[in-house]
Amino acid sequence: MNTLVDDAALAQRIARYLSQQVGHPVEVAAVTRFAVGFSWLTYAVPVTGLRGPDDVQRLILRLGPDYGLFAPYEAAPQVLAMQSLAGTAVPLPRVFWHGEDPSILGAPFMFCELVEGSAVVPWVSANEPSLADDYRRQLGGQFIDALAALHGVDWRQRPIAALSHGITVDNAALLNVEHWERQIARWAMRPYPMAEWGLRWLKAHTPVAPRVAIVHGDYRTGNFLEQGGRITAILDWELVHLGDPHEDLGWASLPMYMGGSGLICRLAEPDWFYRRYGERAGFEVDMASLRYYQALSLLKLAATHMAAARCFEEGRFNDMRMPAMGSQVATCLRQMEKVIESRP
Amino acid sequence: MNNSFPRLIDGMCATLRSEVLTRLDDEFARGQVFGVINLLNTFKLRADWSAGFLIEQIASQRVALDGVAALLGDVPSAPAAGTPAAPAATPVAELLALRDDGNRRIGLWLDWLDRQRASLAPDAVANGEALLRQAMRDELRIELKNAPRPLFAEMSSGSES
Repeated sequence: MNTLVDDAALAQRIARYLSQQVGHPVEVAAVTRFAVGFSWLTYAVPVTGLRGPDDVQRLILRLGPDYGLFAPYEAAPQVLAMQSLAGTAVPLPRVFWHGEDPSILGAPFMFCELVEGSAVVPWVSANEPSLADDYRRQLGGQFIDALAALHGVDWRQRPIAALSHGITVDNAALLNVEHWERQIARWAMRPYPMAEWGLRWLKAHTPVAPRVAIVHGDYRTGNFLEQGGRITAILDWELVHLGDPHEDLGWASLPMYMGGSGLICRLAEPDWFYRRYGERAGFEVDMASLRYYQALSLLKLAATHMAAARCFEEGRFNDMRMPAMGSQVATCLRQMEKVIESRP
Repeated sequence: MNNSFPRLIDGMCATLRSEVLTRLDDEFARGQVFGVINLLNTFKLRADWSAGFLIEQIASQRVALDGVAALLGDVPSAPAAGTPAAPAATPVAELLALRDDGNRRIGLWLDWLDRQRASLAPDAVANGEALLRQAMRDELRIELKNAPRPLFAEMSSGSES
């Protein structure tokens, strides 16, 4: 059931909600929906009167629609993570208000600061020129440092500790694999024996994590904003959780995000990435763990594609990119097997 | 339809590229068009006219041909009597169900081998797993062989370089 309202009605509801939050009337002009993502919807919201009659601001509103790729959604995990990271070296937007009640705006929601910048596209065609060396290394260094900073946050004293659920360095991998096993059971529309084989292998070879860290869950090009060679914000925290920091390294280093460049996220030579990350994070990257999490990442990506296929098949989304994603399950599973087989 | 299925797909893709994309400025809309082209390319490799409606057409022809032969087949100059046999086609849905059933059986075997590993001869387990995994690899290989290059870059950016 789609509980979302049209943009004009949404603007009215936002005005009503924000007025209640700040205790005086505010005005909301026409909202603009960004044509990005398959999951949470993102809107720019022009608001007048938040901090006084003449104050004009543009906020970002994120809505988790009940027809989205990973529905049903909760705003809480990403809000807890973003609140936990406020004031750290991880650049990200400030969160203002959030809620889970769909009667307010039609879906779980979060308002945050609008940060200037644009996204570097992760998927490029074969003819796309490489990023200029100086530019990509400048961004790459910040990309690595922000990840190391994220993984260095002492989360136990911060709001995200509410998501810990008994996680330890010993069970982090298994909990993660079991989570994705449940997602595959939810989303797969037919049996995938290679996925079952991969799950079995991953359960039998779980590494011990160097620490339990805040894991972004989708750390890659396309999920940060840059302006003039400076990363202004890391975005898209919907898959955030606690786990082994190697998981973000495994995800970021997937071939899908290299754009044929051989560079992690089109930005960094792998050796430089792992060395610099290790120096900043305070532990050496374990290559066996990295391969393990690359395999798990490919299984996660296959699961995401299964979700896309199901979402489209059930008529929840008519976005034509969904069935295109759904056609990539085999690619991910084949690469997963190759990564597993490549272990020493 | 008088045209072949692949030619019709080519024509649709060409029209979308040359007649639609050239007139479309909105980035999201262009991405959607590339998504459609992506799927049409997949259909070209994998799909064909529905066997169901062809079988219906053939059955209808057979009723007519058998009928006319019963009425006029004794006339010396009449065309030869007899009609082609109805094709023994297997509906695609049945093939899909068979494939899924096979995959389910592979999964059950893998699970069984894993659980019984300690009580079975190691060579037998290894050979059994090798056979099952080869079938799994073959499924993916055949799947990928019949998939066009995805147009994710174009769908994201709404443009081709």
